[in-house]
Amino acid sequence: MDLFIINFLDGLIYGLLLFMLSSGLTLIFSMMGVLNLAHSAFFMLGAYFAYQISLYLGFWVGLLVAPPIVTVLGALVERYGLRQVHQYGHVPELIFTFGLYFVIEELVQYIWGKNFVEYRAPESLDFVAFTLAGGSIQAYKVFMLLCSVAIFLGLYYVLARTRVGMIIQASLSYPKTVESLGHNVPLVFMGVFGVGTGLAGIAGVIAGPTLQTYPGMAFALGSIVFVCVVVGGLGSLFGAFVASLIIGWMKTFAAAYNVGAAEILIYFGFEYPDNVYYHPWRDLWTLTLPQIGPLLPYLLLVLILIFRPYGLFGRRDA
Amino acid sequence: MVSYTSRYSNNILKSLLPWIISTLILIILPFIFTGGGSVTIMNQIGITIVMAMSYNMLLGQGGMLSFGHAVYMGLGGFIAVHIMNFVEDGLWLPLPLLPLVGGLVGLGMATIVGSFSTRKAGVVFAMISLGIGELLAASCIVITAFFGGEEGVSGDRTWAPPTFGIEFITQIEVYYLIAFWVLISIFLMYLFTQTPVGKMANAVRDNPERAEFVGYSMRWVRYVSFCGAGFFAGIAGALFAINFEILTEENLSMGMSFNILLATYIGGIGFFIGPVIGAVGFTLLQTVLGLQTDLWALYTGVIFILTVMYAPSGFTGIVTMHYVPWQLGKIHLLFKPYAKILVPALIFVAGLTSLIELTNHVRHHSQETSITLYWITFESNTIIPWIVLLAMTLGGFYVCRVFAKEVVDAWGEANYVEKG
Amino acid sequence: MTLEALKIDNVTKSFSGTEIIRGLNLSVGKNERHAVIGPNGAGKSTCYNLITGRYEVTSGKIFLHGEDITNLSPYEVKRKGLSRSFQITNIFPKMSVFENVRCSLLWSMNYKYSFWHLLGSQKELNDRAEKIIVELNLAERKNTLAGVLSYAEQRALEIGITIAGGSEVILLDEPTAGMSVSETEYIVGLIRKVTEGKTLVVVEHDMGVVFDLADRISVLVYGEIIATGSPQEVKDNQAVQEAYLGAALEEEH
Repeated sequence: MDLFIINFLDGLIYGLLLFMLSSGLTLIFSMMGVLNLAHSAFFMLGAYFAYQISLYLGFWVGLLVAPPIVTVLGALVERYGLRQVHQYGHVPELIFTFGLYFVIEELVQYIWGKNFVEYRAPESLDFVAFTLAGGSIQAYKVFMLLCSVAIFLGLYYVLARTRVGMIIQASLSYPKTVESLGHNVPLVFMGVFGVGTGLAGIAGVIAGPTLQTYPGMAFALGSIVFVCVVVGGLGSLFGAFVASLIIGWMKTFAAAYNVGAAEILIYFGFEYPDNVYYHPWRDLWTLTLPQIGPLLPYLLLVLILIFRPYGLFGRRDA
Repeated sequence: MVSYTSRYSNNILKSLLPWIISTLILIILPFIFTGGGSVTIMNQIGITIVMAMSYNMLLGQGGMLSFGHAVYMGLGGFIAVHIMNFVEDGLWLPLPLLPLVGGLVGLGMATIVGSFSTRKAGVVFAMISLGIGELLAASCIVITAFFGGEEGVSGDRTWAPPTFGIEFITQIEVYYLIAFWVLISIFLMYLFTQTPVGKMANAVRDNPERAEFVGYSMRWVRYVSFCGAGFFAGIAGALFAINFEILTEENLSMGMSFNILLATYIGGIGFFIGPVIGAVGFTLLQTVLGLQTDLWALYTGVIFILTVMYAPSGFTGIVTMHYVPWQLGKIHLLFKPYAKILVPALIFVAGLTSLIELTNHVRHHSQETSITLYWITFESNTIIPWIVLLAMTLGGFYVCRVFAKEVVDAWGEANYVEKG
Repeated sequence: MTLEALKIDNVTKSFSGTEIIRGLNLSVGKNERHAVIGPNGAGKSTCYNLITGRYEVTSGKIFLHGEDITNLSPYEVKRKGLSRSFQITNIFPKMSVFENVRCSLLWSMNYKYSFWHLLGSQKELNDRAEKIIVELNLAERKNTLAGVLSYAEQRALEIGITIAGGSEVILLDEPTAGMSVSETEYIVGLIRKVTEGKTLVVVEHDMGVVFDLADRISVLVYGEIIATGSPQEVKDNQAVQEAYLGAALEEEH
């Protein structure tokens, strides 16, 4: 039971982290109709910027300064890149962000090299917050949890209670109407793209120390984030939230419970082969849950798209 | 009546002419490029051509953006390697027919995936392709019996029974095998564009809704194109297997799919011939530039982004844009401005890339101070090269901007049609 | 008893609870030229979308030559012999005029999803496409990309795509919207010519065109047909006068 709680918490933290990315992605998508494939690249940039800053000024300054830099960078990409492509339609926009992803990845390798960088949690948070049945939860993870909750409360407040939030919400559903009401929609687009990527940046800053900061981190998380957004239903913030948590728990629980296919096969009356490593079905016999864990999100994605192409909470006409 | 038949046969000859010329070019190419490694590069180009053309059946002709086209190539390739190994154990299959098997594998996979993925185009289709791609790439490590885990599966093409006495030991023999399949594939893909369903694929790309109102289900039209694209991707995969004799998880990965998209797009997705040019250009960038610098992927990526932003119809589009001035007899107006901007543009590119390379050199190879860029060797720890390169970059950029106006004006003039 | 070419039986359509079409009844006889008129927002285009399967009906039935076509998908409706044009030009912009017309012919000439016919050698198909293009007065523009045609030419092509498949029942949606007087004449003449011997339903705002073309007229107001009859009967109908025509006729003078 205690193990369950530990994994539950771990999954929650991972899920909320995913939501930090998928919320930005959803905001951008529902505003601009662009699925930003470079989103996880901005996440990586957040981590690297924070690392670079932390070398000179410490973790906390990095936490404060890196996200705004990513936000500005995102806004610039929208202003000078995406807006140029917008006239050609959605498919070129998608291709543009896809290309951007690879260029950012290459740039990161060019600037910081191909290896891991030593981006660490601050020492003030380097202690065990509490232990449960042999499993321990680091204080930094608690800090991550608090951070993401704080960001969501902030985001919710801005979206639901402020004038800017009202305009954004209105633009989500009726961009043309909002434009004809005299609001500067291109500016709103730029802002939303900036804030969306900025959210990814914050996620990078916070997650960098635990998930490790290296050029492959965008790739490791990138596709999973699309899974969250698509499974939840493109354009639905609530859907993205639910899907992020589901996938967060899916990942941690699959990794934690070492159930092997052999046990199941034996339970169903099959006989364990003598020399399993030469058996034609060796992959099936040696299959374990942690092994197929990384496959599960994509399986979920494909199944959802087959049976519910609009996602769990997507609108049918979207 | 006589004149009709002769005109008819004339037409046939005329329409076959490009194919005859291409065949001749493919036959004599190895005699022109005899340098070491050029056959290897040409083989790679051939495989990329088939792949890019197959990809363009989806994107350019059918309007379907796929992020997982490598799957069909990869599976075709994996099965081909396995068959090469079975041939070793006595299965009879001549090597030149192996691509057909690869194609059928690609077709089979596309038949399954397409049955649900072609329901929608756009983002949903793109996401399904991405999901399937990731799913297969991730299962590579789990299903080791088939994918061979991290080290992949390797085979030996020379074990197959000799075909007309040819055992495909040398690269040049493989070249002609690839060239044969490249021709066949391009020819078939061209014929496809001339069939009812091939034309309807264009119609569905342009306006799926109206296509339904002229009696076609957009889903079925997409499905047929999708299966076709899978078939040719499988052929490319088997050619890959024959040429490299090894397949790894990389062949199924996102990176591979991205390379195909990149090659196709740079060449120009709106033109039948575009992917061929893209494949040649991309492979040359990859191999030739790749030998010169480890930053080739960065440069290629930047070229790609610039293409998406400023030349959405790709390199072929830029060339065909000049058809109008040429027809108006005004193409000569463009020569001078082009020549004028070329010089500062080259200086700018040379300066910028050298700066990037120099920085990279200083950061990652700090023990060695001597560096050779553009055939010039100098010391990277002195200040002079930095100043010179910076001046080249900024100066080149500035002069380019000044001359750009002339190019724009000349372009307007060259495209201007006199009234009356 | 002769079957009606098109019969709409008590059809309703609601969008998220709001009823846009409220019990629509309409029957169009074979070879009849029927005009549907009504103020903006009366549901004319929605009505077309329901017939052709673009939207699903909430309740009611639609029959084509006595056959139930309710909620079939657009391509199935087209295969049964009903074809429509669009109010906003809806062509294949990156294909030539010739290819636009040829694509519209393919299904009716039974090519289906063929990848074993080469279009270049299908003599009958190509001849028919040529003939239609000549009828449309677009022969000179045969190899021009449809996207760069003038507005009137695009409207003509729109009609060409609609009639090319040889459907028995043709639905036209505001074929003369946004056209000058001479362009309107050209299009009306074209419609007359190409719908000879077919059943025609046309939604139109230009009363001149309506009275010129139609044998019978239905007036659609707020999702209901308030009157159907010959042009003269409709003109004289009190309810129509009040609801719609009065204003429009006054405008014309």
